[in-house]
Amino acid sequence: MTMSALSRPGERDRLVVKFTQIDWTFAIALCLLAGTGALMMFSVAGSSWEPWAGPHLFRFGFCFVLMIALALFDVRVWFALAYPIYGLGLLLLLAVEFVGDTRMGATRWLDLGFMSFQPSEVMKVGIVLALARFYHGISAEDARLSWWLIIPALMIAAPVLLVAHQPDLGTAMLIALTGAAVVVLAGLSWKIIGAAVISFVAAVPIMVMFVLHEYQRARVLTFLDPESDPSGSGYHILQSKIALGSGGFFGKGYGLGSQSQLNFLPEKHTDFIFATLAEEFGFLGCALVLALFAAVIFMALRTASLAHSHFGRLAAAGVTATFTLYVLINGAMVMGLAPVVGVPMPLLSYGGTVMLTVMIGWGLVQSVRVHRYTEVTSGKGAFV
Amino acid sequence: MSEPSIFFSEVNERQGAFHRRSFLLGGFAGAGLLALGGRLAHLQLLEAQRYQKLSASNQFNFRLVPPPRGLIVDRNGAVLATNRPNFRLLVVKDGEHEPGETLKTLAHFVPLDEARQERLMREFERTPNRTPVSVMEDMTWEQFSAINVRAPEMPNVTADMGEVRVYPHGGAFAHVIGYVAKVNREDLTETGPNSEAILLHPGFRIGRQGVEKAFDLDLRGRTGARKVEVDARGREIRNDTDGDIPAAPGKTVELTLDVDIQNRALEVMGDESGAIVVMDCRSGDLLCMVSAPSFDANRFVRGLSTAEYRALADYERRPLLDKAMSGTYPPGSTFKMTTALAALAAGINPEERIHCSGGWRFGGRTWRCWRHGGHGAQNMHDAIKNSCDVYFYQVALRMGPDHIARAAKALGFGQAFDIGIPGQRTGVVGSTEWKRTQVKRDPTWHPGDSVSYGIGQGYITANGLQLAVMTARLANGRKQLNPRLVKSVGGVEMPPGDEVPNLPFSQEHLDYVRAGMIAVANDRSGTAFRQSQLGLGDVLMAGKTGTAQVRSYDGVANRDSRSVRWGLKDHNLYVAFAPIDQPRYAISVIIQHGGLGGATAAAPRAREVMRVALLKDPEIRARIVQPMPLPDVTDLPPVGEAPEGAVAAPPPLDPGEPT
Repeated sequence: MTMSALSRPGERDRLVVKFTQIDWTFAIALCLLAGTGALMMFSVAGSSWEPWAGPHLFRFGFCFVLMIALALFDVRVWFALAYPIYGLGLLLLLAVEFVGDTRMGATRWLDLGFMSFQPSEVMKVGIVLALARFYHGISAEDARLSWWLIIPALMIAAPVLLVAHQPDLGTAMLIALTGAAVVVLAGLSWKIIGAAVISFVAAVPIMVMFVLHEYQRARVLTFLDPESDPSGSGYHILQSKIALGSGGFFGKGYGLGSQSQLNFLPEKHTDFIFATLAEEFGFLGCALVLALFAAVIFMALRTASLAHSHFGRLAAAGVTATFTLYVLINGAMVMGLAPVVGVPMPLLSYGGTVMLTVMIGWGLVQSVRVHRYTEVTSGKGAFV
Repeated sequence: MSEPSIFFSEVNERQGAFHRRSFLLGGFAGAGLLALGGRLAHLQLLEAQRYQKLSASNQFNFRLVPPPRGLIVDRNGAVLATNRPNFRLLVVKDGEHEPGETLKTLAHFVPLDEARQERLMREFERTPNRTPVSVMEDMTWEQFSAINVRAPEMPNVTADMGEVRVYPHGGAFAHVIGYVAKVNREDLTETGPNSEAILLHPGFRIGRQGVEKAFDLDLRGRTGARKVEVDARGREIRNDTDGDIPAAPGKTVELTLDVDIQNRALEVMGDESGAIVVMDCRSGDLLCMVSAPSFDANRFVRGLSTAEYRALADYERRPLLDKAMSGTYPPGSTFKMTTALAALAAGINPEERIHCSGGWRFGGRTWRCWRHGGHGAQNMHDAIKNSCDVYFYQVALRMGPDHIARAAKALGFGQAFDIGIPGQRTGVVGSTEWKRTQVKRDPTWHPGDSVSYGIGQGYITANGLQLAVMTARLANGRKQLNPRLVKSVGGVEMPPGDEVPNLPFSQEHLDYVRAGMIAVANDRSGTAFRQSQLGLGDVLMAGKTGTAQVRSYDGVANRDSRSVRWGLKDHNLYVAFAPIDQPRYAISVIIQHGGLGGATAAAPRAREVMRVALLKDPEIRARIVQPMPLPDVTDLPPVGEAPEGAVAAPPPLDPGEPT
């Protein structure tokens, strides 16, 4: 497929052509990551597809097909649905507030009868779409510094506060950081960024002491001094570090990680699966997986920079920012650099909801790639 | 940006800003991933060793293994206490499974009624997590395998093979050997051997009485350990046999007792209460030390129920009391040898005759002889042979208590011997000094006290062991023998009982008294002639009877004990040694409240036990069993390839040699 062929009118709209425009290298990298996750789940289940490895691969297969399907949707469809999706997300969060399902002290779930899901996940994509849609409609000057910026601030604040009230600190933080990433990518003035960073740093201690729930505060304080309570809250961090460190350069060997196999490692198949990997495959395996993550992130960023529409650029970069945050926060948590906040390692960790969200995000990114030459026009007005 | 394009300049500006910022995002992602990589390198490359150690200490655990308890054997190596395999059922509180539910499940396989389940639940409440609780001991093989098959479904249940102490001879050695039992909280100490963690192991038992208690540390052995892989809940996953530290079994304790003599002694006691002690007159070794009635020590190992314990503790004949060491009784007439020796040492002429008319007026009352008709004129030899009370009343009065006390102490009265196990009560040896210091309400020694002292009543008590020692010292005739119960511990010989000074009596006096004892058992008119015939040819026994009153005879018309209740009947005693020419064994028999004469109740039992002891002795047996005359073997052809000159018949077997 040459550029000349693509420049023929109507050629790009053919499904087969769209199909070839998907970044297949990227797709293979995703498969490798999900496959690594399944490999580790097979190991910690005692060489068994049940209960994790099989379902994990099955879900990934489903989400992969979904990603391809979403990639074929015209980016203008995404553009048109940006605000409705965001609005739906907000409504669902409000619904959770009133009729949500309470599990383990937190109200995060909506019971739909056949399944339950967390509306906050919708918001992870919704916030990116809505902000991209907003910035598509305003000038660089306004995006840098203007009263218009009150609107994105509110767009971020509303879901963040609702999710934080559930309470789900990890997701609230992720949504806030994702939103902030899009705002920064759109060209926010450095003065504002600087001021925000300074005020955030100043606010953290106050947040920790007065706003957080007891269990959240315990996690943060334990993180600061893990040895203070090695069998209680510090247990997770300590055992995770033991798993990582004892792996050494080559690891203990597949299926031979004592920390994960003997259950010393908590949440060995979900949040701490990276520690399982580190124990059995050592520094070598970890470095390879981190390189895969880096490749995925840079391929996605390249896709973003190729897009001709501002909406496409921001949406793709926003999704990439979310993914990057997942990887960095989970990695830092597993390595004892951040408090335990319940953020999984995307694609590696077991868990359907996060997998679905991430793959829908990648569907959006691929849609932006497939339709990178598509002009996205909206009226002069910022909304519609 | 000077790139020619179809876009608005404003759009180009937005694109430029985005590109700059997306580079920034890329840089942020790259820096973050590099930071993670750096942290990984720090943990996995620089600190790997430290974390590998921590990981190993998570993964591996040492589980203590109780060592097999040392054996206790008799002088010929016959086993008196050993261990047998025991299928145990252990349940551990792991915080995940409800012990009550587990017990209900287990009740399908082993008998666990409601009451037992409740008792176990209380035990679970007391035990800390991860410490196993023994739910059942001594399962059958069927029960054991039924539970082992289902083990994967019940991770908090272990059915394993431990060891349990067993005493094959039941009650015969219960008082000497004692028993083992579960460790109590009072047994645990902060330091020393009782602070070791193995004491908390459900299979561990601690010595409670007798040899088991006194030699507990020798019998325990060295604790071993199994290296096991455990999961986060402390459950065993795998055993790493290469890392095991084997347990070393405890030392063997060899006693001087003889299982055949001991068993026979308990048998002849029948339902009576009392003690039999047999001692070697040459070495001091104790061949038998039995207290009756006895109890089955095996019941104590498992743990006695309250009802069982009460039954033992409340029984009037007191099976839990070791009457050979802890019961003290007036020696009665068995004390007369001591009085005689004291009199000889005090310079009284043994040939002087004292007239016995059946009673003697002294101090305003009549002191009766056991023989109402009287013995007539008695010298010392006659008085011992006939056990004449009147003679000894007067002799004792004449020399006073301190001469008697000196002789009594030299013969072993009033002292505890170092036989390795605790529990001896010393009894009383009266003297003026003793009465002044010990009897607060009447500190002066009255002449009347001496009179009863002379026949072994009043201020003189002894236990069975002391009576045996006295007899053995008299029989030995020279050495102040000490008894020995423990022959060796872990192969190390214990000090013998014959490395002792000589008795402070002249040989002439000792021979005189011994002649009296020989006459008791071998003169047709001796008090125990009929009951002392061993029937072993020229192997003869010498002895002395004794009857000790436990109630005052004043104002009692009939001294006969047969009509009074058990607790008021007389004690019957007999001390003896054999053979009379080369004394080998000494015996003391106490029948508590036997109610008959010493000759009737005690002497036949002494004779039977003595026969067993003598017949086990190869030298004695050789004396009794006359060898058949050897056949004339000179006509027989030479055997095999015998060289020239060695044609002679094989040398005749020496019948005197032990085989």
